[in-house]
Amino acid sequence: MAAPMAGRLAALGRRLAAPARAWLPGLTQVRWSRYGPSYLEPVVNKEVNRKPLEELSEEEKTQQELKALHPIKATASNVTSSVFSDPTISKFTNMMMKGGNKVLARSIVTQTLEGIKRKQLEKYYQASEEERESIECNPYIIFHQALKNCQPVIGIYNIQKGGKTYQVPSPLKDNRKRFLAMKWLITECREHKHHRTFMHEKLSQELLQAFNNEGPVIKRKHDMHKMAEANRAYAHYRWW
Amino acid sequence: MLRSVKGVICQGPKLDSGYFLHASARAWLSAAVNQDVQIPAEKPRTVFRTSESNPANHAEQHEGQHYSIPLQEVKVVFPHGLPYRFQMQMKTFNESCLMVRKPALELLGYLKSTNFAHPAIRYVIYGEKGTGKTMTLCHAVHYCAKQDWLVLHIPDAHLWVKNCRELMQSSYNKERFDQPLEASTWLKNFKTSNDHFLKEIKTQQTYMWTKRESTEKGRPLGEVVEQGLTRVKNASDAVGVVLKELKKQCPLGSFRLLVAVDGINALWGRTALRKKDKSAVSPEELTLVHNLRKMVVNDWNGGAIVTTLSQTGSLFKPRSAYLPHELLGKEGFDTLDPFIPIQVSNYSQREFESCYQYYLDRKWLQHERASTEEGRKELLFLSNSNPWQLERISAYL
Repeated sequence: MAAPMAGRLAALGRRLAAPARAWLPGLTQVRWSRYGPSYLEPVVNKEVNRKPLEELSEEEKTQQELKALHPIKATASNVTSSVFSDPTISKFTNMMMKGGNKVLARSIVTQTLEGIKRKQLEKYYQASEEERESIECNPYIIFHQALKNCQPVIGIYNIQKGGKTYQVPSPLKDNRKRFLAMKWLITECREHKHHRTFMHEKLSQELLQAFNNEGPVIKRKHDMHKMAEANRAYAHYRWW
Repeated sequence: MLRSVKGVICQGPKLDSGYFLHASARAWLSAAVNQDVQIPAEKPRTVFRTSESNPANHAEQHEGQHYSIPLQEVKVVFPHGLPYRFQMQMKTFNESCLMVRKPALELLGYLKSTNFAHPAIRYVIYGEKGTGKTMTLCHAVHYCAKQDWLVLHIPDAHLWVKNCRELMQSSYNKERFDQPLEASTWLKNFKTSNDHFLKEIKTQQTYMWTKRESTEKGRPLGEVVEQGLTRVKNASDAVGVVLKELKKQCPLGSFRLLVAVDGINALWGRTALRKKDKSAVSPEELTLVHNLRKMVVNDWNGGAIVTTLSQTGSLFKPRSAYLPHELLGKEGFDTLDPFIPIQVSNYSQREFESCYQYYLDRKWLQHERASTEEGRKELLFLSNSNPWQLERISAYL
């Protein structure tokens, strides 16, 4: 959020300073937004507005002044100021969604979290005092840790060279890693499990396995790492 | 707040001014029986548990507090009747805790002061969806079970008017229909909760099941129940016989009878069942409903009838309907009239705080923000202090 903001501020500065090149020969604008350049991003976090004036740094003070003058874009409808909102969970819900049925996707995700919590709490209450400390009951921590465990470190890209397609290993961006982890979890539950079990049961089982670094999704991550290791020789085909 | 101060001042001499409710917990510690009183460590603003596990001793000072029922007792007293989500909660927490609330205390007060010579009084618990009607009924059932009443608990009358796999023509009366599966499950659960009564109560007439099988006069009622369980075809008639015998013998005074029906509006609504020729079955054509309707009339004495209205499982009723007249219809209201209505509403401030502390204590609210003041305010807002809604929201937090 800060980088485009700074970029927009810089662009504003440049426009005020010198006449800009609004048109370049050979470049057509493909993606554009209805919002003009002066629109600011909305801030949903309530904590930002609660800070007293003295604590604000220079940057935040300029930000506040800009907000008084500039119009602000509308927030996306899946963004809330709730203290319980989690962007990773929202992203996961969106990936689970089919045909725009967000209600169903959200209910599956909430049932999954409930299922994880119930399983862990049952284990907790039946365990002895020493074991209790090692049992993690927070479904959000389990979810995040399981996703982190499923994220691959290095990925494979298909590059065509001389008529043949080579599997070239390459580092992955953070977004790509998160996407792959979530995609593998969801496809694993959809395709390789019994179709009559509920999705939330399958998902909670997979997440708990991934949290303990076991299960088919972790295996798939290791397979990708092994492929990358095997195709080490073609690494120099990468040009980015 | 005033009430709690009054109750606490009446209680004991040594009280700190700043710790009203905490001191009341200390007073109970000396009277503690089996359970430990759990006092939250940080700020003793509210005490959400009480060690008083006998509903007979529940009074105003226990309002908003949770009392726990030993799991062994739950298996005997509630073989059926507890809501499904409460059963899941029992399994997860490994304990069963009910909150003592005002409508339940009111109902228990009426039950304690029943005059057994007068006809049975009907109590109708009503309220919006998810406010705790079934749990209030279960509290009353637990009280009566502890007081050694015979409890006739029908967990959900709506189950008898919908989703019936086998609908057979009754052998006793050609016009009526039997439901063997529902009747046999009910008989099994009835036997678990009232075993000792079934051995003592004797039948007062002979019942012929078939040409060869019959139950003689003077045999224990347990035999009728066994007959219903073994010969599933006669299960609905066995239920009818049990109800008839209990109603006839209760005025004689050897036992007290509590008829607890959840979702009584099912008896006078419409059913979702159809006959072979696709015409609709009306409730009086079902044996079970017919016999239960006779039970709910106040022409017997020696007990009480506690019922709950429920829109949740009801058929052909809008979700916003919760008042007795809307759910019972004219026929049902006229049959149940006169009754004592008991309204159950959403949690008060104190009850919400107690429920919130209980969930925090049992580690049900796991989100790190849930234990903050912000989280608590948001839970209050999202659930609108509705118990059902609060439970569902805290399930995934």
